[in-house]
Amino acid sequence: MNTLIALALNGFREASRNRVTVVVFMFAFVMIFSATVSIELTVATFDRVMTDLGLGVMSLICAFLTIFLASGLIPREIERKTIFMILAKPISRSSFVLGRYAGNLVTVFFVLGVMIALFVGQVLVQGSALNHSHLASFVGIALQVVVLTSVAFVFASVSSQYITAVCAAGLYFLGHLSSDLYKMADHAKSDVVQVIGKGLYYALPNLDRLDFKARATYNEVTTNAELFQATGYAIAYATVMLVMACLLFERRDFK
Amino acid sequence: MNLAIQTTRLTKAYEVGFVGRKTVRALTDLDLTVEPGQLVGLLGPNGAGKSTTIKLLLNLIRPSSGEVKLFGRPPADALARAKVGFLPENPAPYEYLTGREFVTLAGQLAGMQGKALTQSVGQVIERVGMDRAKDLQIRKYSKGMIQRISLAQSLVSTPDLLILDEPTSGLDVLGRQLVRDIIIEQRKRGTTVLFCSHIIPDVEALCDRVVVLIGGKLVRDGKVTELLAGDDDQSELVIEGLEPGKLAAVPNVTQVEELGLRLSARVPDKHTTEALSAIFALGGRVVSLNRSRFSLEALFLEALKTSANSVGSDIS
Repeated sequence: MNTLIALALNGFREASRNRVTVVVFMFAFVMIFSATVSIELTVATFDRVMTDLGLGVMSLICAFLTIFLASGLIPREIERKTIFMILAKPISRSSFVLGRYAGNLVTVFFVLGVMIALFVGQVLVQGSALNHSHLASFVGIALQVVVLTSVAFVFASVSSQYITAVCAAGLYFLGHLSSDLYKMADHAKSDVVQVIGKGLYYALPNLDRLDFKARATYNEVTTNAELFQATGYAIAYATVMLVMACLLFERRDFK
Repeated sequence: MNLAIQTTRLTKAYEVGFVGRKTVRALTDLDLTVEPGQLVGLLGPNGAGKSTTIKLLLNLIRPSSGEVKLFGRPPADALARAKVGFLPENPAPYEYLTGREFVTLAGQLAGMQGKALTQSVGQVIERVGMDRAKDLQIRKYSKGMIQRISLAQSLVSTPDLLILDEPTSGLDVLGRQLVRDIIIEQRKRGTTVLFCSHIIPDVEALCDRVVVLIGGKLVRDGKVTELLAGDDDQSELVIEGLEPGKLAAVPNVTQVEELGLRLSARVPDKHTTEALSAIFALGGRVVSLNRSRFSLEALFLEALKTSANSVGSDIS
C-alpha cells in the first residue's frame, strides 16, 4: 500500500512540475472566468451560458490532461530507461501500473477540483444556485477521467507515447459517439454489420453514458439511479481495462 | 545458505524484424553461481550479453529458457529483489525530482519508511558526496552528479546484493575513487557485488572473481589471482646508452622498442638478473625496471581472440 501511495504521489509531483500541466491549468482558469465576460455578449441567461461553457471547458481540459499525462508517463519512463531502477525494486509490475494510474487520477482530480471551486464561486457570486444536475455533471466528468485514463493505460503499457495519445484521443471521440454507433447498427440491414456495430458499442468506452452536461445546461433532472448506474459502469469498465494493462505490462521485456 | 545468484542454462533470444524474422541469441546457456559476500566482475565486449544477464537477474526481461534465482527465489518474486540495489548503465532518474526526493522514493519502493528512511537517505547522500546538491532538481545535475545520486538510490536500502553496471562511467578521478571506496566498504559489510565494467584495471583491482562473456557465452570464470597466474610474467626495462643492435647480445629479450634516445626491452621475469648483468656489461644504463604482470586486459583480449573476435550476439 505504501508503495502505491509513493508511486501515486510521485505521479502527482511529476505532473505538477510539468510546464504543460501548469499552462493547461492556467488556461482552464482563464476560460472559466471568461464565462462571465461572455454573458455580456449573449442573449441567454447567465445560468445557461455559465453551465454550458464552464462544464464544457472542464470536460475538455480533463480529457486533454488525461490523455497527455496517461500517454506520457509510462512510455517516457521506458524510453528514458528510468523504469530499470524502479522495477528493480521489490514492487510488482502491476503495483507500478496501479500506482501510476492513481497518480494520474490524483492530478486530474486536483485540477478538476480547482475548476469546480472556480465554477461554483462564479455561480454563487452571480447570485445563481447550483442544482443536482450540476453535481451530476461534475461526477460524470470525473467518471470519464477514470475510464479514459484506464483505456490510455492499456495502450501505454505496450506502445509508444504517440500511439497511446492518438489511440486514446480517438477512443475519447468514439466513446462520445457510441450511442450513435448502436443506433446505426440497429438500423443496418446486414446482420454482420449489426453484430460488429453492437460488438463495438459494448467494447468501446461509452463516455456518452457518463456525460450529463447537456442536462445541466437545460436544467433536466439526472436521477440518483442513473448516477449509480454510470458509476458502476465506469468502475467495471476501468477495472477490466486496468487488468488488461497489468497483464500486458507483466509480459513485457524492457530491452 | 542460499546462493546470492544462481543461473542454470540461462538463455535469452530475441526475435527481430517484421519480414524474414531473425533470432538474436543474446545469451546462451549461462551457468553462473555467486556466493554471498563475493565481489564478481563481469567483463565482455559490446554485445557480449552482460546487460542481458543483469536484466534477467532483475526480471526486466524474461528468459527464453533456463532459470535464474536470487537468494533462492526467482527474480519475478518481489521478495527476491527486496535486498538488491541496482545501478544501471547511464542511469536516468526522474529529472523533475530533487536528488533527495529521488533517493527517498527509491527507499519507499524498497519498503522503507519513517525515521529509518530519513536517516538512510541522509547517510547515503552524504556518502556519495551529494549533500550540497541534494535539494536541486536532477535536471540541473551534471552527468557525474546523476551517476552519484543513482548510486545513492542503489545503496539506500542497505542491499545484500549490489548490481553495478558501469558504475564509474561519467565520473571524474575523485568520483571513480569514491565508487571504488564504496565497493570496498560494501564488500567489508558482506554485500555481494556484481560489478560490470569496461575499465579493466578497476575490475582487476576490486574483484575476487572475474566472469568473461563473449558472444553471449561464458568463456572464462575464475579467481583473479588464478586467472592471472602463469609463467608469462615479464619485466620491462628502459635503457639508455645502448644501440638497438647491441641488445641482440642480451639473452632472453623478447621485445625491443625505441623510445627516442631510450630503448624499452621486455624479458621474462625469471631472466631479469641475467639481462641486467648483460646490459651493464655492454655499457648501458637501466633507467627503470617494471614488473609487468599478465594483465586482465591481456586475458580478456586472449579470450576474445579464441572466440574468433566475435563481438555481438549470435544471429540466425
